[in-house]
Amino acid sequence: MLLIKCPYCQEDRPEIEFSYSGEAHIARPLNPDDLSDEEWAEYLFIRSNRRGLHHERWLHAHGCARFFNALRDTVSDKFELTYKMGEPKAQVKK
Amino acid sequence: MLSELKIDQAVELAPILTGEVDLLPVQTRYSLRVKPKERCAFIEASNIDLPAQIGKMSVQYDRVVLCIGPDEYILICSLAEREPLARKFEELMGKYIFSATDISHRNVSFILSGEQTTNMINVGCPLDLSLENFPVGKCTRTIFESAEIILFRMGKTKFQLETWRSFAPFIVGYFEKYCLQNRGK
Repeated sequence: MLLIKCPYCQEDRPEIEFSYSGEAHIARPLNPDDLSDEEWAEYLFIRSNRRGLHHERWLHAHGCARFFNALRDTVSDKFELTYKMGEPKAQVKK
Repeated sequence: MLSELKIDQAVELAPILTGEVDLLPVQTRYSLRVKPKERCAFIEASNIDLPAQIGKMSVQYDRVVLCIGPDEYILICSLAEREPLARKFEELMGKYIFSATDISHRNVSFILSGEQTTNMINVGCPLDLSLENFPVGKCTRTIFESAEIILFRMGKTKFQLETWRSFAPFIVGYFEKYCLQNRGK
């Protein structure tokens, strides 16, 4: 079982407490009326589907019930880091 | 005036669990939401001690307050306190920003005690319950075999486990199986 660090609880917790909620840092357009159908569809459905490091949202559903962001490697499944909602997009330090 | 609470806790404990699992009588429970910046003012006005950190609990008399989220608290106390608390919250409404919901009927509480307690909880809950990682006074919402529970440690070998009333028979089933398999070992 994977352990995921919740940035609110500040603890490593078992993965079954969490649920995945898609790619992170996708801002809702401020004026949806101004968008063409293609642009709106792009916002709704098109995701980067990255192989490798991926920014994604997670929900600590059976814990503190907070959403947070994570940077996870989709190949190895390793969580590089997790950070609170509202914090800037995290990068891995090489 | 609040209506009198008459609750069928909808769970029975098999005799094999005697001494290890006890069902608490009906309790008063409130779900409180107080933003961190309102917390101090709310504590002063209500005399309810809200812990400052997720995973901490406070005990005042027989009243337990658990902090299970950044702004989320569960208050558990005896039935006698239900009405005074409701009056107090009504008084504070409008003066402070908070929400209080009576969820007394929703949960049942089990007291788990004995040397085997941590093993019994670990049947369905993957948390590390060693004293270093889960000291006395720690609380958390977590999961027990797919049922959501709130777990807190009251003593070295004494835990309280809160769960929804409808999940209770399911969870007790696991305790019974554990006791049947491990008695006399």
